Amino acid sequence: MGQLKLNKVQKFYGTFEVLKSVELEVRNGEFVVFVGPSGCGKSTLLRMIAGLDETTAGDIVIDGKRVNDLPPVKRGIAMVFQSYALYPHMTVFENIAFPLRVEKMPEEKLKAKVEHAARILHLDQRLQQKPGMLSGGQRQRVAIGRAIVREPKIFLFDEPLSNLDAALRADMRIELAKLHRQLKATMIYVTHDQVEAMTMADRIVVLNAGEIAQTGAPLELYHKPANMFVAGFIGHPKMNFLPVTCTGASDAGVEFDYRGETALVPVVPRGGMVGRTLTLGVRPEHIQLGAADLTLTVTPSVIERLGAHTVAYASLGGEGENYCAMLPGNIAIRADQQVKTGIRAADCHLFDENGVAFERRVEMSDIDMSLFDPAVA
Amino acid sequence: MSQPAMINRYRWYELVGIYAGIFVFLTFILAPFVEGFLVSLKPLALLFSSPYRFWPENGSFEAYRTMWVSVPGFARYIFNSFFISTIVTAVVLVLVVPSAYAFARFTFRGSGALLAAFLAVNMFSGAVLLIPLFRLMRSFGVLNTYFAMIVPGVAFLIPSAIWLLRTYMMRIPRELDEAAFVDGASHFYTLRRVILPIAMPGITVVAITTFIGSYAQQFIFALTFNSKSEYMPLPIGLYAYFGRQEVVWNELMAASFVGIAPAVVLIFLMQRYLVAGLTAGAVKQ
Repeated sequence: MGQLKLNKVQKFYGTFEVLKSVELEVRNGEFVVFVGPSGCGKSTLLRMIAGLDETTAGDIVIDGKRVNDLPPVKRGIAMVFQSYALYPHMTVFENIAFPLRVEKMPEEKLKAKVEHAARILHLDQRLQQKPGMLSGGQRQRVAIGRAIVREPKIFLFDEPLSNLDAALRADMRIELAKLHRQLKATMIYVTHDQVEAMTMADRIVVLNAGEIAQTGAPLELYHKPANMFVAGFIGHPKMNFLPVTCTGASDAGVEFDYRGETALVPVVPRGGMVGRTLTLGVRPEHIQLGAADLTLTVTPSVIERLGAHTVAYASLGGEGENYCAMLPGNIAIRADQQVKTGIRAADCHLFDENGVAFERRVEMSDIDMSLFDPAVA
Repeated sequence: MSQPAMINRYRWYELVGIYAGIFVFLTFILAPFVEGFLVSLKPLALLFSSPYRFWPENGSFEAYRTMWVSVPGFARYIFNSFFISTIVTAVVLVLVVPSAYAFARFTFRGSGALLAAFLAVNMFSGAVLLIPLFRLMRSFGVLNTYFAMIVPGVAFLIPSAIWLLRTYMMRIPRELDEAAFVDGASHFYTLRRVILPIAMPGITVVAITTFIGSYAQQFIFALTFNSKSEYMPLPIGLYAYFGRQEVVWNELMAASFVGIAPAVVLIFLMQRYLVAGLTAGAVKQ
């Protein structure tokens, strides 16, 4: 079993509040990813769960037991560090065996366990080598092996792939996902890379400035971001934000005006919004050429051709009102030539003055509900 | 032939300057040794001949034989020096390794002040504290023992050893300690199984400098705290070649070279632990 519950967990460094009352529940066998910009407190939170950093207030509960004051080894966790943290003077075998040596496991049992872990991680041929002779990916696998042999309730990963090059990272991502299915263990994974978060997580926890901005399945965060931070953080290129004026609200949605263009966004309306300035969110991949519910004529200043896609950047004039569109790869546009772009109102996101999203009426039949809730799957 | 990296390429006149500089410094450093060695080969009478001849005529290793005869206890002096330095080095290492680890890894109240205090102690030379130390030794009743020469030696060598080793240990990635801690290892287990093996080159450097330091500083402690000739270390033992009428220079020089030989051999052997790059592969840097 590997359940984790964070109950109003807080962390102060002196008077600086790093984490503000974090509440979270992680189910047994779940792959949860903490994601956020650097300095948001995600690594600190992981180190607190590991028992490396002290918890200022609140409870960390693993399998129903409060573990705040227990050392890491008694919490039933194992951690994989960003920098691998391998013991350079020991062979791969001894590195993996280290936790078992600490608990003075009999040699025969130890050997069987290390070899089992090495087989899972394809390290059987490397057991007698030292870390210095291994490649980055192999080193990271050794570090994972050291975590596996402990058979922990919860695996903690602290940006384990950020030191690898792009190709290796993609491979390791797939291997980690496989490993998770194979071990059926609870895994908590910290990263600043949204691709890692989106591809591996059952559930993503987006952290911003010491608070949980939103928790949800990858597609839920993409389709129904709760606020502007999550909307801007998930998705690449970043979502476009345009200042609009609310002109009406009804059961059908909220109507807005942007430079004389009006449209109706199908969101759950709230009272007293008419006349206020709201923020319209449009993902670059939802912009197409030609007229649509909302049509904007822009002059792209830079065009990036990526083969599969073409990314066009334009300025809408106002301060910070940059406009980015992701269009098909072979589309006929040029820099400095005016084009008409259209946005479907159904694809739009709408945020109030505080950056809180109006709930979108996403057609759920389009998205498999089981993707939202791993418990259903 | 492999070309040196661009940053290591010099013009011919730069090379000439570099080698000229090296030559001048080496001359100053090595000339006394060369001269000393040549003196040890000459018969005593030739040393005072005029004009002075740098190269020995009919030189021989005779002094290396007669030195044992004219000062019969000389082997014992070499042993004493070696013995005192070895014990000092061993004691310093036993005390310094855990304390350097503590200074490198733990934050505790007064660690900065303590380190500064260690530096301050180093600024006092042993000579300033000789009289108080002498009184201390006398009241403990340990004058004229090995103990009297070992303990002050240890005390004066610990500060620099701590500074040296602490700096080395601070370069060992902290994640290694954390990984060991997560795996359930105690601080002592981590120190023994993880930090010590990785810090071996640093410990070797500390051992060598301590050994040399102890060899060098024996003179003053032995001169003050010891009057028994059987405990005399080498530097005092060399005084035995100072006769009433004359100094037996050639034997003195021969004895000096023979005396430092064991230490040179030991340091040569220890050098093989000075392998660089022991942390390769520990963490991504």
